[in-house]
Amino acid sequence: MYFPYFIAYITIGFVISFVVLIWALKNGQFKDQQRARFLPLEELPSERPAAVSRIKRIEIYALGFLAAAGLLTSAAVLVFSLLRG
Amino acid sequence: MSAEPNSMTPNYYTAKGFCFTSAFWMILATFAGLLGATELMAPDLTENIGWLVFGRIRPIHINLVLFGFVTPGLLAAACYILPKLLKTELFSEKLGVVTVVLWNITLVAIVVTLAAGYTQGREYAEMIWPVDMGVVAVFCLLIVNFVMTVKRRTEPILYVSVWYVLAAVILTACTFSLGNIIWRPDTGSLKGIPDAIILWFYGHNVFGLLLTPLSAAVTYYVLPRACKTPLYSHTLSLLGFWSLIVVYTHIGTHHLLQVPVPTWLKVIAIVDSVAMVIPVMAFLINIWYTVQGKLGEIHADVGAKFVFTGTIMYFFVSIQGSMMSLPQVQRVTHFNNWVVGHAHIGVLGFAGMIALGGLYYILPKITGKPLFSRLLADFQYWMILIGVVGFTVVLTIVGLIQGNAWLNGEAVYRILPSIHIYYVARASIGLIVFTSALIGVYNVIRTLTYQPKESAT
Repeated sequence: MYFPYFIAYITIGFVISFVVLIWALKNGQFKDQQRARFLPLEELPSERPAAVSRIKRIEIYALGFLAAAGLLTSAAVLVFSLLRG
Repeated sequence: MSAEPNSMTPNYYTAKGFCFTSAFWMILATFAGLLGATELMAPDLTENIGWLVFGRIRPIHINLVLFGFVTPGLLAAACYILPKLLKTELFSEKLGVVTVVLWNITLVAIVVTLAAGYTQGREYAEMIWPVDMGVVAVFCLLIVNFVMTVKRRTEPILYVSVWYVLAAVILTACTFSLGNIIWRPDTGSLKGIPDAIILWFYGHNVFGLLLTPLSAAVTYYVLPRACKTPLYSHTLSLLGFWSLIVVYTHIGTHHLLQVPVPTWLKVIAIVDSVAMVIPVMAFLINIWYTVQGKLGEIHADVGAKFVFTGTIMYFFVSIQGSMMSLPQVQRVTHFNNWVVGHAHIGVLGFAGMIALGGLYYILPKITGKPLFSRLLADFQYWMILIGVVGFTVVLTIVGLIQGNAWLNGEAVYRILPSIHIYYVARASIGLIVFTSALIGVYNVIRTLTYQPKESAT
């Protein structure tokens, strides 16, 4: 029997999630979603907003290069694997 | 243990304790990684020094990164975020401090037992039973503290970060207990294939149901606040949360596609691994729309900068992960350094970056004074970013060399000379990350202890 532990594992996860979901529904956790969007901003100190457009150009270029390199590497491996795998 | 009476100014002892724990153990964790990488480069380096051989250093590195550096960093932020979002105080700072102390005792036990050769020999679940119980105990203490904090809240709505934090500690307590088979203290394992199946549910979920939810929780709080803008959609964030909980628990068997595991289980693992695109993109679209046009604000806050970079890494590691679960891709990428590169993007680039971001974001708030050095934090950011990208490039190249060679029937040992140069590069990058950890701990300790000139008496 290979599956009892797997079933137990999944069942525990589902039971906990289901019970909590029912609790959330009954407690109105999914209502008033518009107000929920602002919750992190409450008690925000009234300081002057940070200046915009201070990003150094080199940082943008560096991050853009890294992002492009990562995407290209992943795409290359996927193509290679599908062709050769 | 009862909660202490409310005071006007929270002291944040628990958050401070986790901050220091994360910064300190990052040094040992990265040093163990550096030593392991050096041993791969020069295998005779620690010859005849039993407690320093690669087989012992590697699990020390992994467990310290997971439980010593990243998780405490994220928990430090969680201990600050949770009371703020619930408009109350942490249920018990005393209980929190006890948790931090027990956490550190457990970490010492992990290092000592693994270095002494006491191991259960199961990947990511190497610790022996008494140490396992220490981990279970700290998560139980966290559950009590967090659930009681939620119970005493004055804000009726649970923001998505609260959902993620609670899920992380509750599900990890279950995952860790089941995955380490704590009801069998002598071996900590089952027999044969059932053990492999449950081990890899644990092995994947100890990252996916601990680091991912905690990182999402920190991101959902830090970035809207740093940008002073509301979350793009709270409904979408809850969709991402519930889909993560449903999907992530099933995918561990994608580590066992080359193993005689039942096919139906492999199919579930592959399908759900690809389905991970749903919670991942729900999270990323939500966060990136929230910070749209606000990159200046992110740049102005070093904590937010770490966190935002972590979200980019999350995109890469998740796309990679879904891709790697496909059998045809695994024929090239599995059982070689590609997977190690993937793990470094996930744990250091995604969760590690966000842990450091959360830490740097809350430090000025919990100490009531500015960060000791923004320059050092920026320097650490770039060192880690260079380190993560370097690891990714080097380990991906090595993985492709190994995977392609083995696919063509080449013997393992014949590949070693061609990858040696990459192992040298890997150790060099490890040195960069280790140095960044030293800078980080100095900055954290000085921030916790120094007195700014204007407030010094």
